[in-house]
Amino acid sequence: MSAAIETEDLTRSFASGVAVDRVSLRLERGRVLALLGPNGAGKTTTVRLLNGVLRADAGRARVLGFDPTTEGDEVRRRTGVLTEGAGLDDRLTTRENLEFTARLRGLGRRQARSRVDEMLERFGMAERADDLTQGFSTGQRKRVALARALLHDPEVLFLDEPTSGLDPAGTRDVIELIQGLASEGRTIVLATHFLGEAGRLADEMAVLHRGRLRAFGPPGVLAKGIWDGVAAHLELGAPAEPDTVAALGAVPGVLEAQAAPDGARLRVRDRDVVPRVVAALVGREIPVYGASTHAPTLEDVYFEIERRILAETGDTSLIDGFSDRYRGLDA
Amino acid sequence: MSTGPDREPVRERRTPLGHGPTRVLGVDWEAVRTVMRKDVTAVRRSKPIVLPMLLVPLVLILALPVSVGLMAANAPTDAVAGALSSPMLRTLAEPILELPERERLVVLVLGYLLSPLLLVIPLMVSAVLAADAFAGEKERRTLETLLHLPVPDRDLFLAKVLGAFLPAVVITWASSLGYLVVANAVAWPTLGRLFLPFAQWTVMIVWVAPAVGLLALGLLVIVSSRARTTQEANQLGGAVILPLIFLAAAQASALLLAPVPAVLATGGLTWLFAVALVALSARRFTRDRMATTA
Repeated sequence: MSAAIETEDLTRSFASGVAVDRVSLRLERGRVLALLGPNGAGKTTTVRLLNGVLRADAGRARVLGFDPTTEGDEVRRRTGVLTEGAGLDDRLTTRENLEFTARLRGLGRRQARSRVDEMLERFGMAERADDLTQGFSTGQRKRVALARALLHDPEVLFLDEPTSGLDPAGTRDVIELIQGLASEGRTIVLATHFLGEAGRLADEMAVLHRGRLRAFGPPGVLAKGIWDGVAAHLELGAPAEPDTVAALGAVPGVLEAQAAPDGARLRVRDRDVVPRVVAALVGREIPVYGASTHAPTLEDVYFEIERRILAETGDTSLIDGFSDRYRGLDA
Repeated sequence: MSTGPDREPVRERRTPLGHGPTRVLGVDWEAVRTVMRKDVTAVRRSKPIVLPMLLVPLVLILALPVSVGLMAANAPTDAVAGALSSPMLRTLAEPILELPERERLVVLVLGYLLSPLLLVIPLMVSAVLAADAFAGEKERRTLETLLHLPVPDRDLFLAKVLGAFLPAVVITWASSLGYLVVANAVAWPTLGRLFLPFAQWTVMIVWVAPAVGLLALGLLVIVSSRARTTQEANQLGGAVILPLIFLAAAQASALLLAPVPAVLATGGLTWLFAVALVALSARRFTRDRMATTA
């Protein structure tokens, strides 16, 4: 069976410059991919290319085995899209907006109506079905737009900034909705610059920077490629003294040690090293109030990748090497 | 590792709801109808669009024929003879000069001078609707959503064009019918008979007016593809459409005095230009272009 999404050297330029530059990736079905990057990184353009709205200048793409350039309608029949701006026609009611989409997706009149009712119920908008969408809150608009994206039960979902403009409660609701969709086995591409939501949802992450794919793979795999060992934190009640830091560095299995505002930050070979570290401090009569290991989050991975890109932007060959080194495909 | 939920890839293939398109002559007419219906519903609820589309026809079919027609009915009977005294105009205006003197001015004003203004209606309506259908989608940020749906570019274009063209034709014909009734009613005390429609008038309304509407539509579609807002499209379009309105209104008076085959030929030429313009617009209407100018 073909991958959900596969691209090879996908490239697209505009008058303003290259928006997507030789992007190659492969996403298996049922996975959630966080497409990350700052504004202008090429996330939305990538989604448009994958859904056949834009044509690639070079390279190729396959979505569920179809070529978006030559079989765009076949791709779009199987994908659902939540655009950043929701894209509701405010002169229509919620139901009219949804039924319009359902009919264009080939649902018969009766089937469209019952499916719209079902989706409005599911997304908690049934009571607003016959209201014009003008005046809806951002959260309500996102809900209607998500319902619309799911009308035809698509296998692949492209969600472009699904939580932008939402308050914390709205953000939580939408993330829970997306988690529900992911648990149904859909392939989801989440283009976002909100790393918290990406961390909660994504199986894989792709970091775009000025159109180039700088990293791609499961966050855990990428983290292992970036950092050796495991991060640990010791709570000592005060910053570790220099001789304490030196003693910590001498414990076998400690790769790195430095003072922190309330103790010390370590990088250890594995979590089994932590008890030895605590024992060493107790042996020196230094009180230890707490010790914990800390697995890097997607956010940690992203910012480390961004930091390295920025540090290396003077030397593009280094960036290219960096990109190759951290590709999840190679891991 | 706290990064990401641990999910096994799902192997079964989902079948999307909804059938593939049923095409007749290569067009998914159901999709075309759906887009048209949506556009018409949305436009009906938009006061800035509905008001001019109601007011202009009302002025043309009611206010003008009643006021100007009544003035003409009560004007001195020799006024028109002087106006049509040149040899060329005398030949063209033969149908008017053949009438009894007291009928000439009423027929001239209601039949030949005000009637051509009906051509303003298809121009205006199709231009307003086209601006809303193309530039308006960009302005409302609904275009992107539309482009992500499984409707071929050509069907989308056809739906947008027909959604502006057919209402323009219906409104023009309905307004012309209204004008027919009002003009005959105003002229009745003077003429004592129905003077509209005559052959050239009928050809102008049935054959030329839709062509003029399509011509305006073709121009507006080209303009709208560059504009980002309806206002911008209307402003740009106005620069193109206004001269066309003056041209149409000015030339149509002579057209109504010309032989029927000449009116038919003029309509045919207009259709040719209009279809060529729309075909040119259709070639330029691609998802890629729409998305990059949105």
